[in-house]
Amino acid sequence: MAQLLSPSPFAMEQIFNSISLGLIVLDAQQTVHLWNGWVERHTGIPAKQVIGKHISEAFEELPSRAILNAITNTLSYGLPVVLSNALHRSPLPLFQRNEQDDGKSRIDQSITITPITAEYGERHCLIQISDSTTSIKREKILRTHSEALKREATTDSLTGIYNRRFFDEHYKMALGHAVRHSVPMSVFMVDIDYFKEYNDSYGHVAGDKALIQVAAALRKQLMRATDVLARFGGEEFILMLPNMAPDSAMLFAEKLRLAVWDLNIPHINSRISQRISVSIGFSNFYKHPDLDANSLLKCADAALYEAKKAGRNQSQYLSLQHFNMQTTAPAGTLHKSVSN
Amino acid sequence: MNSLTELHLDALSEVFNVGAGRAAASLSDIVGEEVRLSVPSVEIRKSSEIDVSAMGLQSERFGTVHQTFSGSFEAEAILLFTEEHALEIVRDMMGSQISLEDLAEFEQEAMCELGNIILNACLSAMADMLNIPLNCSLPDYTVATTEEIFRRVSDDLDQPYVLLLHIDLAIERRHSEGHLIFLLSSTSLKGLIIQLERFLGAV
Repeated sequence: MAQLLSPSPFAMEQIFNSISLGLIVLDAQQTVHLWNGWVERHTGIPAKQVIGKHISEAFEELPSRAILNAITNTLSYGLPVVLSNALHRSPLPLFQRNEQDDGKSRIDQSITITPITAEYGERHCLIQISDSTTSIKREKILRTHSEALKREATTDSLTGIYNRRFFDEHYKMALGHAVRHSVPMSVFMVDIDYFKEYNDSYGHVAGDKALIQVAAALRKQLMRATDVLARFGGEEFILMLPNMAPDSAMLFAEKLRLAVWDLNIPHINSRISQRISVSIGFSNFYKHPDLDANSLLKCADAALYEAKKAGRNQSQYLSLQHFNMQTTAPAGTLHKSVSN
Repeated sequence: MNSLTELHLDALSEVFNVGAGRAAASLSDIVGEEVRLSVPSVEIRKSSEIDVSAMGLQSERFGTVHQTFSGSFEAEAILLFTEEHALEIVRDMMGSQISLEDLAEFEQEAMCELGNIILNACLSAMADMLNIPLNCSLPDYTVATTEEIFRRVSDDLDQPYVLLLHIDLAIERRHSEGHLIFLLSSTSLKGLIIQLERFLGAV
């Protein structure tokens, strides 16, 4: 309970008028009993002009229906009411007075109306109005910043495609979805052939440019919003395509390989040909029992290793079943070449 | 006597549906579209018996609006919307796209207002029909997990009864479900029964 030293060295009015919050008190007939300095400043209407008037006649225009209803409800039921800024913006004609120009802008408001009991037992209500203009402005700035940061945190700054962090987060979700809904998912690892030699012959600036071009060519092959392409490391890219079965995956891997091939980026020190090429390893998940999330990635990586071993510039498929057998059984020719 | 009969529950259901109608009218005013709100069922349970199946809760996390009220009986009211539904409602009302934790200050305020409208409408209907005046705190909004809510309900030894309302809220083509929980002390439950008896005798 608030209490004042008695006798108080100042009048309560001073506090009401200094507070940076609008305060209006209405009695059961909705007649204005209190109209503080903040309300005076933001309406331009002095208290002595409105005390004793009905609330609907107090302002220069009629307050919104929502607030008039809220006042009636609080007065008849004694229940407090919140009028949020998000849903009402500006229910009362209150203005930010700008000395510099004649224009006045309406204040964004958050309002609470609480019942108070007058001395003789009659129910009054207190309307508290706070200016939310600044907090909304701040909120919008923060949101813009956080969206930009979120974008940056998940993007590879060189190529503009997703980074590994984004991939790792979304891979688990996508795989979980594939497990729950019994749908296939394919994963591709793409590695640029002899990229170290490319950097050695053309320099790092050209190397970066090549990475950007390759990333863009790979990205163009994606068709659906759920397909993800990310830069996995130096010259390595990774793709996950939910709902893609092994037979379409084989065609897709070739599409990827040819997309880079067709860029026709000269590479004199490639031992494949005179242009940049990629090796691709891929695998597929479909209703596989007891799946460890990493094994699909390891399997695609093993397939990539096979593609490199078999001479690069090709795609290799390794099935998850065979990969799991391989990890326990001695290495054999379980993988299968799809192109050379 | 510490339990509500079918007749009592029917009467309460009538009271709350009147409240729901009032809340729907206020919400329609704000949203500018037709909002339909109904209370298809009312149950009374012991707090200790409350669990996931009793509430038909499917979500992990909830947006909750809480108010305490006092008067001829004292109770706490908690309005629950599942994470998904809370988001849908706020998005529908304001057209923003954000996750529940990110619900910024002014969206939380909007959730508070939504809860406040529904709670006040139910309470004012009780006040009118059962002739019980009530005082009430301002609403606050929090995000809570299912466990936190159950813990809060079952740990409250002073309020061993739970009045559980299922709420259907439809805004335009979107349909949402919520729950309204009243935590009642045995005295409050007795008080409520007395008022219900009076109401049933009067009609």
